[in-house]
Amino acid sequence: MAKGPADPAIKAQILEYLAKVQKAKSRDVAVAIGAKKTDVDNAVKELTAEDLVEYLYITTTYICLKGKVQTPNDEK
Amino acid sequence: MTDKKTPLLDELEKGKWPSFVTEMKRAAVKSEAAGELLQVLERSYRERRGHWKHGGIVGVRGYGGGVIGRYVDEPETYPNVAEFHTVRINQPSGFFYNTKTLRTICDIWAKYGSGLTNMHGSTGDVILLGCKTEDIQTIFDEYSEAGFDLGGSGSCLRTTNCCVGPGRCEYACYDTLEACYNITNEFMDELHRPMWPYKSKIKFSGCANDCTGAIARADISVIGTWRDSLIIDQAAVKEYAANQFDIQGQVCDKCPTSCLKFNSEAQELTVNADDCTRCMHCINVMPKAIQAGKEKGASILVGGKSTIVQSAFMSSVIVPFMKMDAENDYEEFKDLVRRIWEWWDENGKSRERLGELIYRVGMGRFLREADIPPVPQMVFRPRANPYVFWPQDELDRSGTALDGSKL
Repeated sequence: MAKGPADPAIKAQILEYLAKVQKAKSRDVAVAIGAKKTDVDNAVKELTAEDLVEYLYITTTYICLKGKVQTPNDEK
Repeated sequence: MTDKKTPLLDELEKGKWPSFVTEMKRAAVKSEAAGELLQVLERSYRERRGHWKHGGIVGVRGYGGGVIGRYVDEPETYPNVAEFHTVRINQPSGFFYNTKTLRTICDIWAKYGSGLTNMHGSTGDVILLGCKTEDIQTIFDEYSEAGFDLGGSGSCLRTTNCCVGPGRCEYACYDTLEACYNITNEFMDELHRPMWPYKSKIKFSGCANDCTGAIARADISVIGTWRDSLIIDQAAVKEYAANQFDIQGQVCDKCPTSCLKFNSEAQELTVNADDCTRCMHCINVMPKAIQAGKEKGASILVGGKSTIVQSAFMSSVIVPFMKMDAENDYEEFKDLVRRIWEWWDENGKSRERLGELIYRVGMGRFLREADIPPVPQMVFRPRANPYVFWPQDELDRSGTALDGSKL
């Protein structure tokens, strides 16, 4: 993972992309916004600390906007 | 405690071994969740199917791992285990605790969770079984205040694990406790923020006895070894012989490379260091007479895993010897690990472990792209194995094919 503060522009692009999908792998986000994956990972780290994005585990780990994906029992 | 019958679980209390069912029944005296857990388990055994769903989002702010969401599939029937999440706490290196620490762990858990624990999980973490979503952040905050951190879960670096090392074992060829602690701290982001195709594990074993089971389970194994020759105390060898220990049969004949020779007349044991694979067998059976060499470090192996995409894999040696010095802050190892992860992250498919990726694309490509020089120690019998990493363009330039024919 890249060190140091994340690029605000990449953070904004990630939020914009995640608004269009339910969940995504950070690698797919990197491809979609044309950024390096390590920079996306670093930006996601900050976005989770800011409570704007959260990690989601469904057999593998995804990211999504905070509150966008429900927990298994909420889906009923 | 629940008064409902659990005839199938009761069977698991019979016999001379400790039973997890007995422990769960003890917990059920104080915890309704533990009581309902018994009922769910009894029903699963009766119906031969699980009643749990897992996944989703149950985490603490800024973390992507360490808490695994568990939900029962009939929350109306089992309201006390409707949410029954697992919390992983990063264990201390070598599992060294004092009683105060253990009480701290248990007191916090008894306050918010079911009281059930698993000491320790297969990766090494302290596993706390059963809590509600609303309590997770508080649980994390209290453990954090007490000096603990969450372990790994999901597609991240899983909690690193080590053997007891020099803390209790004379065989340790490097300080596994310090290495594990130092390297865990170095890779905190990788541990807490899942970003990879799947999980990655590092295990530190102080010698080839491999008490962490690294070679079969870790993506990156750090197994203590030595570079020079075994040290043999001939006086102690004579003592073993005098005590009728079968040195020829128990040591020399079982040496995998036949590098040890025992002269029964002179009662002397000699080693051909060039042929020794540092397997530890002779040291294990004659610990008073044979010691590891003085120039100690570790072998680095990659690719161990259990069955997921492919079958279970054993690890392969990629660095036969590396010094593991705290004075150098383990920089050589950290640099190697970063290169390996970067390559895997770039090339791995979803849920593909490092060993599976190497299996798919080939060891040659892995070594070339991760900038790791091939060495004879990577193969079992380098003199017999056609172990060649000649890329096609080099073959083309040579004008000769591998079978000797002209290209």
